[in-house]
Amino acid sequence: MLNGSGDGTRALQGLSALVDGELDPAATRQACAQWQGNATARASWHAYHLIGDVMRSDDLASDAAHDAGFLQALRIRLAAEPVVLAPQRVEAPTGEEAASERRAALRGRWSWLGQAAVAAGFMAVASALVLTRGNAPLQGASDSLAESAARGNPVLAAARPMPAAASTSIANATGEAQTIVVDGKLLRDARLERYFAAHAQFDGSSALGVPSGFLRAATTQAPER
Amino acid sequence: MLKRSLSHLAWILAVICSTAVMAAPPVGAGDSPLAPSETRAWLMRIHDAASHQNFQGTFVVSAGGAVSSSRIAHFCVGASQFERIESLDGQMRRVFRHDDVVHTLWPQSRVALVEQRNMFATFPALLHKGDDRIASFYDVNSQGTQRMAGRDADVLLLRPKDSLRYGYRLWADRGTGLLLRVEVLGGRGEVLESSAFSDLSIGVKAQTDSVLLPMKKLDGYRIVNPALTPTRLDAEGWTLRQGVPGFEQVSCVRRPLTGMTDGDDDAAAQVLQAIYSDGLTHVSVFIEPYDPARHLRGLQAASGATQTLMRRLGNWWVTVIGDVPAATLQQFANALEYRK
Repeated sequence: MLNGSGDGTRALQGLSALVDGELDPAATRQACAQWQGNATARASWHAYHLIGDVMRSDDLASDAAHDAGFLQALRIRLAAEPVVLAPQRVEAPTGEEAASERRAALRGRWSWLGQAAVAAGFMAVASALVLTRGNAPLQGASDSLAESAARGNPVLAAARPMPAAASTSIANATGEAQTIVVDGKLLRDARLERYFAAHAQFDGSSALGVPSGFLRAATTQAPER
Repeated sequence: MLKRSLSHLAWILAVICSTAVMAAPPVGAGDSPLAPSETRAWLMRIHDAASHQNFQGTFVVSAGGAVSSSRIAHFCVGASQFERIESLDGQMRRVFRHDDVVHTLWPQSRVALVEQRNMFATFPALLHKGDDRIASFYDVNSQGTQRMAGRDADVLLLRPKDSLRYGYRLWADRGTGLLLRVEVLGGRGEVLESSAFSDLSIGVKAQTDSVLLPMKKLDGYRIVNPALTPTRLDAEGWTLRQGVPGFEQVSCVRRPLTGMTDGDDDAAAQVLQAIYSDGLTHVSVFIEPYDPARHLRGLQAASGATQTLMRRLGNWWVTVIGDVPAATLQQFANALEYRK
């Protein structure tokens, strides 16, 4: 139960407002904390959503078992898909209450997310970015990569095969190396961008003619100024 | 519960749709290998289309988890080419090209990058040499026709004969030969990067003023003009002990790396850049004096099809970049030797 009936009512009102998207960030945190630790609050949360759904459309008021059956079948199919990457446990940055709440929510109600992430992995294969690097970070954006890895934040398994020999020789040349896979967008290191731009300047030297390389470079390779 | 189911469904559908977009088209049983002379004819046709057709459209590049798009207009008048490219994502950026002069403008920060790119003539020379380098290092297959950007396209699959390069799938407009789409394929046939016109009009009227006028109006812009000085690798004291099969040096310059901001201390620093091409893709080798303050650690990175390798080599710092497998960059870096 929530603490006292007055508090309980207020908390339920908070949840109701949260369902309607009317809470400010601080109140949202508070409501989520209550929702996380209280079974009654969770039941109310579900009920509010169901009420909202039914009010919005009769179509949403169908037999819940149908959806459960669909989801179950989907989970089985997803589980049978080959795993191309293994999402690791999400660790919260220390002292970040909001992240902790998110994590709890992920483990609980959103357990399907892990399976969906497997499906998303097929996209990530093409889009993942692999970094093999020494034990000190490159300046700028890469700092956050190192921190991210150190904390065990979602670091995807190497989605693109990296020849073992290649990694080893880097390790030999530069000391201890680690492989980090992140989304390409995170790598906005100014220093690297300059090399990319200089490299792209020669994109016209392809058999495919000016449009392919040049258009591609002009579309993508431009550091912000 | 119901609402969640729906949101799950939407999520899954989004995943499936985007996967479908990135999925390679089915490899038909009707693949037919092309003879070297046919390959050369195809590539010449693709190349000629770019130098004779007027077109405009939307160009979309999907690589490294990011999708970028731009509006493109391309005009050919006589032997001259004009191009106008406007980025549709992120900070506003306009690129204007008149033959080998390229202006990149950032209207918000009033910065203009003015470049002379004299390498656009490189390719036909490569082809006309008649060494069929592309046919030597890639198996070229015709994969029939498909519809792409509202047009009928011939599909070509270029499969590398060794593991030193990536494969390519090309869609060339049936009528003109213009390249409508390019996919870069990894060793297992996975799509690493895709560039394509999402819509395209071929045969539009040339509007060269839309390119030339903005190139003359640079008032109020801070002009960045990196000077590229041609040089030779051996003249700089360097040698590539063992060449990487298929790759020939097409250029070697001494240049600054253009700085991002005012007062950027690296902007003035000169680097040596050697460019190697196998006819389809190119690799840049950058060499500069090692500076412990700036060159902190070695690095190996992949984003889309583009691989990057950075490492220290004695008193030097080497950066190798190219749309090739990481092991190929290793070969370049390992073969570098300073002999002064």
